[in-house]
Amino acid sequence: MFMNSNLFEPGKSKPERSFVQLAVKQNQRLDGRRSNESRDVELTFGSDWGSVVVSMGDTQVMAQVTCEMGPPALSRPNEGKIHLNVLLGGVAFLDEAYNTHDQRSLKLNSLLERTFRSSRSIDLESLCVAAEKHVWCIRVNVNVINHDGNLYDASSIATLAALMHFRRPDVTYKDGELRIFKQNEREFMPLLFHHYPVSVTYCVYKSSGQPILDPTLLEENAADSVIVLSFNSYQELCSLTAGGTTPTNAPTVMQCARNAAARCKSLLDFVRKALALDEERRSQGDRSVDGLVGLILNTEHKLSYNKLMGIQKQRQQQPPPSENIELDNESSETPVANEEPSNEEGAGAPMDTSDWLPHDEDSQELPMRSEASPSKAGKYKTNKKTRPRKQNHSDSEEEARQFI
Amino acid sequence: MSATNTIVMPGERIAAIEELAKSKRVILGPGLRRLDDTVVASKAGPLRHKEPGTFWVDNYQRRYIPARGDLILGIVRAKSGDMYRVDIGAADTASISYLAFEAATKKNRPDLIPGDLIYARVLNASADIEPELVCVNSVGKRGKLGVLTEGFFFKCSLNLGRMLLRENCPVLAALTREMPYEIAVGVNGRIWVKAHSLKETVALANAISALEQSGCAEIDKICGNLGDFLQT
Repeated sequence: MFMNSNLFEPGKSKPERSFVQLAVKQNQRLDGRRSNESRDVELTFGSDWGSVVVSMGDTQVMAQVTCEMGPPALSRPNEGKIHLNVLLGGVAFLDEAYNTHDQRSLKLNSLLERTFRSSRSIDLESLCVAAEKHVWCIRVNVNVINHDGNLYDASSIATLAALMHFRRPDVTYKDGELRIFKQNEREFMPLLFHHYPVSVTYCVYKSSGQPILDPTLLEENAADSVIVLSFNSYQELCSLTAGGTTPTNAPTVMQCARNAAARCKSLLDFVRKALALDEERRSQGDRSVDGLVGLILNTEHKLSYNKLMGIQKQRQQQPPPSENIELDNESSETPVANEEPSNEEGAGAPMDTSDWLPHDEDSQELPMRSEASPSKAGKYKTNKKTRPRKQNHSDSEEEARQFI
Repeated sequence: MSATNTIVMPGERIAAIEELAKSKRVILGPGLRRLDDTVVASKAGPLRHKEPGTFWVDNYQRRYIPARGDLILGIVRAKSGDMYRVDIGAADTASISYLAFEAATKKNRPDLIPGDLIYARVLNASADIEPELVCVNSVGKRGKLGVLTEGFFFKCSLNLGRMLLRENCPVLAALTREMPYEIAVGVNGRIWVKAHSLKETVALANAISALEQSGCAEIDKICGNLGDFLQT
């Protein structure tokens, strides 16, 4: 046993910590990003259904979805099962990674469980073939290849993209006989979703009131607290993890939540676009991404967030009312939506936009507020917040805010 | 120093050195080993040669192997008895005595807490016992050793650390032309830098990290436009 466990990580010494604190205080980051700027997210789909690699800077996470037939849980005889499994073993410098009960992988696992399973994002009933006898067991293996901070976002994006990308074989159950069709007999079917959650991570420091988005490992280790928020495309909070020692005030958390909701929405748009592009490539019969190395090193089929969404950003800036643009994007995505989760998606898409509309004005105001001094922005927001919160968020959160 | 283009792999027998050893005295550096009458490489990398007869393998490595007399940067991990445990990036933690600081006595102990960064010298290093550090020289003065406060600290490969430390290194000279700064480089691949402002310190750290993957020959070229890195 080494006494110096996880010492190869940055951010464990005093100079590093105080330097990061100082940098945050002066509103600077070591890689030149702004506090609300994230690293580019890159997606690569493998040749298998449901295999995807997500990289954010040096952080790289691979997710693979598999399925098998099995008996259902006794308590829920008419629902399929979903397992989320996180492996940190690929990161060489984490000595603790060999310990299965270590804090980090448990935390990551529980975050994914709450985001995807507890929020019931996947329609498990559709995975039931014969009640009490045969259901599909969906297994998501999240493999961390490299860790440079913000594993939460990387793995939640990877999980979401892999689940959305995944297709399962069609199956019939007749006279006690189970028949699973091969791909050449019947087309594979995508999973059905109730909603699509993604997480966003913020780091908060004692020296500054301004939380920073998408921390690197150095920033994460030097942070006093880390807030992870998961939202779905309807701006509903799916999970919230806040730990650490910083006394964070309610306006800060609410500001994080608002920005996170907007970012989750655009991340989901990005995943959908990426899936559409992958679909297009597959329909042309091009499956040249092969093997693990090809998947990790692949540059040709890498789909970058900044590239895909950058065009959209420019378009949004030109005409002031962004409602039309939102609809525009939605319509451009509909071909994918139809091929993908069939009826669920169809119902989801229009609801998405209508729900988004009242929020649009808020999100447009947001950047202005964050530029203003934090205390001022906070006050301003608490007055106006009640209206949009009510319709989208659970009562408990509303209560909590007033309480504070 | 001449860089030959031979790349050697661990276990590879190097006949050229054996030939030379017949006529004159040869010194085998790190990465080379003598087995009876043969010379065998124990690390992978380009074979280096320095006149008259010194050979070594310049391999890329991040894990430090302690050697007596090395100047290193370590992070204090814990206090234990009359020792501090210090992480130096090696397989084992090193220890440093309370009394190994300037003007320290049993009554007057140095005030170090876990997380502190110290610049120290390796007093003894052997494969079987943990390395021991000191922060004073032979006459009890601290010189430049001791606790490093403020500034920024980062890790790099051992090669980069060694390269910065070699005599008349062009990198540090090129950086000096751009701005005044303080630097402490440990041969264990850890670098501490401090400049006037935070922005300058970040730029300096980025400029040095950018040299990570470049070889000795390229460095001279890169140093010409180090100013570009400093702008970012």
